[in-house]
Amino acid sequence: MRPENYEAQRQPPSHEYELNIGPNHPGIEGNYAFKLRLHGDRVLEGKADAGYLHRGFEKLMEGRLWIQNLAITPRICVPDPVPMEVSYCLAVEELCGLEIPERAQWLRVLQLELSRIAAHLFTFGGHAATTGMYSPMFWGIADRDLVLDLFEELTGGRVYHIYNIPGGVRRDAPDGFLDRVRSTLDYLDSRLPDYDNLLFTNQVFVHRAKGVGTMSREQALEWGVTGPNLRATGLEFDVRRDDPYLVYDDLDFDIPTEEAGDAWARTLVRRKELVQSIRIARQVIAALPSIAGPIRCPIPNPLAWNVPAGSVYTRVESSKGELAWYVVSNGGERPYRTHVRGPSQMHAVQVLEKLSVGCRLEDVAQTMFSLDACPPEVDR
Amino acid sequence: MTKDLSTWLDTLLDELQGIEVRRKSSRRIRVDVQPDALPALLELLRGRASYVHLSAISCVDWIEENEFELVYHVWSYEIGSLVSAHTRIARDPGVYISVYDIYTPAAFFERDIHEMFGVFFEGSPDMSKFILTEWDGPPPMRKDFDSEAWVNAHFDFQDYQPDWLKEIEAKGGGVAVRPDEQRFSRRDVDAS
Repeated sequence: MRPENYEAQRQPPSHEYELNIGPNHPGIEGNYAFKLRLHGDRVLEGKADAGYLHRGFEKLMEGRLWIQNLAITPRICVPDPVPMEVSYCLAVEELCGLEIPERAQWLRVLQLELSRIAAHLFTFGGHAATTGMYSPMFWGIADRDLVLDLFEELTGGRVYHIYNIPGGVRRDAPDGFLDRVRSTLDYLDSRLPDYDNLLFTNQVFVHRAKGVGTMSREQALEWGVTGPNLRATGLEFDVRRDDPYLVYDDLDFDIPTEEAGDAWARTLVRRKELVQSIRIARQVIAALPSIAGPIRCPIPNPLAWNVPAGSVYTRVESSKGELAWYVVSNGGERPYRTHVRGPSQMHAVQVLEKLSVGCRLEDVAQTMFSLDACPPEVDR
Repeated sequence: MTKDLSTWLDTLLDELQGIEVRRKSSRRIRVDVQPDALPALLELLRGRASYVHLSAISCVDWIEENEFELVYHVWSYEIGSLVSAHTRIARDPGVYISVYDIYTPAAFFERDIHEMFGVFFEGSPDMSKFILTEWDGPPPMRKDFDSEAWVNAHFDFQDYQPDWLKEIEAKGGGVAVRPDEQRFSRRDVDAS
C-alpha cells in the first residue's frame, strides 16, 4: 500500500478516467484490487492487482513436516477448503503408494459434496448482492451455516476442518450423524423453490445477469477456464467424471451445462450443481452404513515420515473449477516443493481482465462474482 | 475419434528424438525433454493431439544440480490424459522462452515463476510484479532464500518481558477498566 502505487497520475485532458476498485469491495470473496480505465460508465481496460492475501504458503510448506502442512492447506481457499485438503492428501498417498480404505473414500466424498453445497450457497448470495439484492445473501449464508454445523459435528471445525490426513480421515462419523445430514439435505431441497422465486426466476436478477461477461466456448478453452464457468459455455467436462478420483466412478450424477456463457448461465449451472451435489450426498448416506472397515490405513510415525522421492500431480474438481497440487519429494521428511494450481488463478486474473472490457461499471462486481473467483487461491 | 487421437499421440511421441516418455498410469504421462525441444513438443501436443488445456507450469529449484526444473502440465479433453513435460534449465542466468504463443494461460504462470524464482521468460506479455508488488529482496521461493534469516536481518524484535505483566497488574489488571473509570457504568444508572 505504498502511496506512489495509488497516486493519481497526471494525464493529458481526455474523457477517460481511472477508478480503483478494491482491495475491499463487494465483487469478490477476499481482498483483491481491480484497476479500471473508463470512458463514461464503459470499461476500456481492467488490470487485476493481487497480493493482499499473500501468506507464502508454498514456501512455508517446504519448512514443515508432511503432516504439519495439513493445517496450511485448507487456508488457501476459505469458502471451499475441503478439496484443498483432499487433493494434498491424494498427492502424499500416491507418493507413498498408500491404499485408502473404502470407508474413508466415501467419507471424503461426503465432505467434498457438502463443501461444494456450502460454497455454492455462498456464491449465490454474493452474486445477488452485487446486483443490489441482499435477501438471497442472508438466506444463502444462513443455509450455509447449517452445513457448517454438520462439519463441526464431523470434524470439530466449522471452516478449517483438517479432517483428512494422508491414509484416510481422522475419525469416523458420530452416531446419528447421517440422519442429521439427511434432514439438512431435505431442508436444503425444500428451500430450492424459495431460492427460485427469490433469485433464479426473479426478473430483476435475470435482466441484470443476462448478457453480462459473455464468453464463447472457444474463448473459454483458450483462456484456461475450468469448472462451472466452462460448463456454462456448453462443454460437458467434470474432473469427477472424466479424471475420476476416490469413488466418483461408482456414483450416479449428471453434469449440468448451459450454452450462453454469460453470468446468468454460470449461475444456472451452479444452481443445477447444487441439486447434483445433494443427489451425490444422498447416495453416500445410503451406502455408508453398509461399508465396514477402518477409516485409515496404517501410516508411519507422522513425526518421522520420510515420503519416497518422486513427483505427482493430483487434480480434483472444486466448486470453482480444476484444482491441482504438484508435490515433489526428495525422500525427506518435508516436501521439497509444493505448487497449488487454483482455478481462480485463471478466472480472477486473465479471464476477468478480458471479460471486463466493454462491460459497464455497475456490472464489474457482478462479472467478478459470477466467475466465482477466490483471491486467496491466487495469492496463496 | 478418441482412439484416433491417442494413436496420433503415440506416433507423435515416437517421431520426436531425444525425449523420454514414461506412462505413470492410464491418464498420466511423464515426458522428459531438452529445453530447446520443449516448445516444439507443446506445439505438436496442442496442434496434433488435442492437448488444448495448459493446467499449470510448476517450477522446482534443484539447487544442488544448479538447475531449475520447469514442468508443463497439459490436459486433453478428448483423449482424457495429462502429459507432464519436464525440462531443466541452468539456474544461472535462468532465462527461458515463453510458451504464451501456444497457451494463453502461460502468462499467469510465467509471471508467477518470474516473481517467485527469478526465471525470466522471453516473449511473455508481462513480467512485472504481481503478488509481491512492494518486494525488493531476492526471489523468495529459491532454495537459498532463508525466510528466517531475512526477517532477522530486516526487522527488529521486541523481547517478551514478564515485568510488563507485573506493571499492568500493579495498575489494577489488564484490559479491564475499573468501575469508577468507566464512562457508562452501572453506578451512574443506579445513581440517577
